[in-house]
Amino acid sequence: MPLPSAWRWLLKKEWRELMSSRSWWVMLALVGPLVGVSFISAVRSYAEASGQGNAAAGLADALFPLDGVVAPTFSAYEIAASFLLPFVAIRAIASDRTSGALKLELQQGMMPVSMISAKALVLGAGWLVAGVPIVLAGILWASYGGSLYAPEIGSLALGHLLNAGIVIALAAAAASLAEHPSTAAILVLAFTVGTWVLSFVAAFQGGMWEEMAGYTPSEMLQAFRRGLVRLDHVLAALVLIAAALVLAGVWMRLGIPMRRKAMESVAIVSVAAALAFAASLARPSWDVSENERNSFAASDAAILGKITTPLKIEVHLAPEDPRRFDLEKQTLSKLRRTIRNVTVEYVSGSATGLFEQASEHYGEIWYDLGGKRIVGRAATMDGVLDAIYELANVQPPHEGEAGHRGHPLATQPTGAAPVFYVVWPLAVLGLGLFLQRRRLS
Amino acid sequence: MREEAHNHTDPIVRVHGLSKTYGRVHALEDVGFSIRAGEILGLIGPNGAGKTTLFECVAGLEPADSGGIFFGPLRVEGRHRSSKLFYVPDGIAPWPDQPVRWVLEYSLGFFGGRRTFADQVIADLALAPLMSVPIRALSKGQRKRTLLALGLLAPQPILLIDEPFEGLDLRQSREAAATLRKHLTPDRTFFLSIHQIADAAKVCDRFVLLSGGRVVAEGALDMLTALARQRAGHDLPPDFEEVFLALT
Repeated sequence: MPLPSAWRWLLKKEWRELMSSRSWWVMLALVGPLVGVSFISAVRSYAEASGQGNAAAGLADALFPLDGVVAPTFSAYEIAASFLLPFVAIRAIASDRTSGALKLELQQGMMPVSMISAKALVLGAGWLVAGVPIVLAGILWASYGGSLYAPEIGSLALGHLLNAGIVIALAAAAASLAEHPSTAAILVLAFTVGTWVLSFVAAFQGGMWEEMAGYTPSEMLQAFRRGLVRLDHVLAALVLIAAALVLAGVWMRLGIPMRRKAMESVAIVSVAAALAFAASLARPSWDVSENERNSFAASDAAILGKITTPLKIEVHLAPEDPRRFDLEKQTLSKLRRTIRNVTVEYVSGSATGLFEQASEHYGEIWYDLGGKRIVGRAATMDGVLDAIYELANVQPPHEGEAGHRGHPLATQPTGAAPVFYVVWPLAVLGLGLFLQRRRLS
Repeated sequence: MREEAHNHTDPIVRVHGLSKTYGRVHALEDVGFSIRAGEILGLIGPNGAGKTTLFECVAGLEPADSGGIFFGPLRVEGRHRSSKLFYVPDGIAPWPDQPVRWVLEYSLGFFGGRRTFADQVIADLALAPLMSVPIRALSKGQRKRTLLALGLLAPQPILLIDEPFEGLDLRQSREAAATLRKHLTPDRTFFLSIHQIADAAKVCDRFVLLSGGRVVAEGALDMLTALARQRAGHDLPPDFEEVFLALT
């Protein structure tokens, strides 16, 4: 289906505006060194852990580039998305308002949401261009003989793209809502800081806070970083992006009374909250990590997958207890992906558990399978699985399944520093000047 | 040309009972007038009279507290007015990093403008030497001429221009006025907000006099002169400035 002509023109204009935006060129120039710092330090650390400097051989065998190099290098984009991209996005949206272009463009009769979508698409494309340094890092890593696993890279790329989408959409909403770009910048940074505060509160409050914090952009990124693509995360991110863009469209309109805009905003936020809640109920997830770190061993998964009776697990550990953290990350998150009908409930009387240690039931883990209950205290994966097998009255699988071997590589990041610290910034500067001349010729 | 314009007397837009307040300040109070096809209507008023607010309310870019805009018998709400009206605000510098050539090309493509007039408008407003200059580098007068070109190339039949001669020198003002008149056709109407009375008298067919947010008079110059004489109670010199002062 061909794009309407006016929207095509809008896309062209937005792209030209992005190419004229100093903030975008500055971001582009800075992303190179940011990726460079992350990549170079990651490769050096990986080399040390791989045996350079007499590291233990066992450790080297368990090394995977996803943890050691790929995810740390990608983390440069989390910084860029938090502290550079919002300003590029706000500039793109607010400049039309401050220059008066918005007053002209709104008279075209196009839906404001269509206009904001064109901006978001172009900003997304600009973000993809800013992804060139990570491609360079990948090429360098491969040239050193490093291993890369495409599905893991896909998971990380998807996570960072969704994160950037959220930032762009929120910046669009903030820029439409606020009269001045600086106010919009404060609003976006307030959101980012707010999600950090939420994660902090969740860490010692647990419960509902923990559930909510699981859907903040940084927490969602954590899952993608482990090579886990969760449908609920993808859907929640898409809902947030769509809601923020629609909100931006509502506040972008001129000639509409403030009260009506406010009422429409309340309706949008309510619908988005309901959709986000519905999204959080989506269970499918895909473990795309090379060593299947987010899944039980195939033999365990086969047995657990046959358990259809509802399983309820009651964990008496405080939110800040490290055992609870390990239990959740190492075992329960995998269990949720394997057993269809499992409910986990955390019970604690305090945040840290320091003063609960003496309590009779603190540290207990209760398992209930179809009314049959047992209690255990082991918070390790083996301990939990043994308890479930006992409760389900099934034989545990035999030991001896070969684990995934890692890809240690003791190498130095040769040539990376000149590429990221000199060649990239100069190339960006040269391209910027060339395009500026061509635009005005 | 002026006689021909007077012949088109059917109101194509009617503004009725338009009011707008900012807090306790009444920017517009029960404003009503009509725009006739093929005329140049001037909105005249001192600074702060509410001219820009009125234009923005009529164009649907500012919400009015009450009142309505009618296209013939139909009341038309904000966003839908752009089917007939195009408003060129004063003091804007849209797409500041883009050269004039691209801005005109974009406006033709995006708004579906009058492409066949493009060369003529560029020549009439002497924009040819500015085509490679970014909007941000234009002088106030050059920017105004570019905005006039944007308006003239817009597809809508009614063009609202806020202060079309602001920033233009005498020669440029005359040329801009001549260009507007040149592009006036039975299906092209201009509604201009002008605070320079002398400029308004030279270019407009009819006038809406706005003072303190109220319409104090509407009509052609001879009609306004008669009204001013009646209100003043004595004869007035045949000068629009005197008429304006007597009526506001």
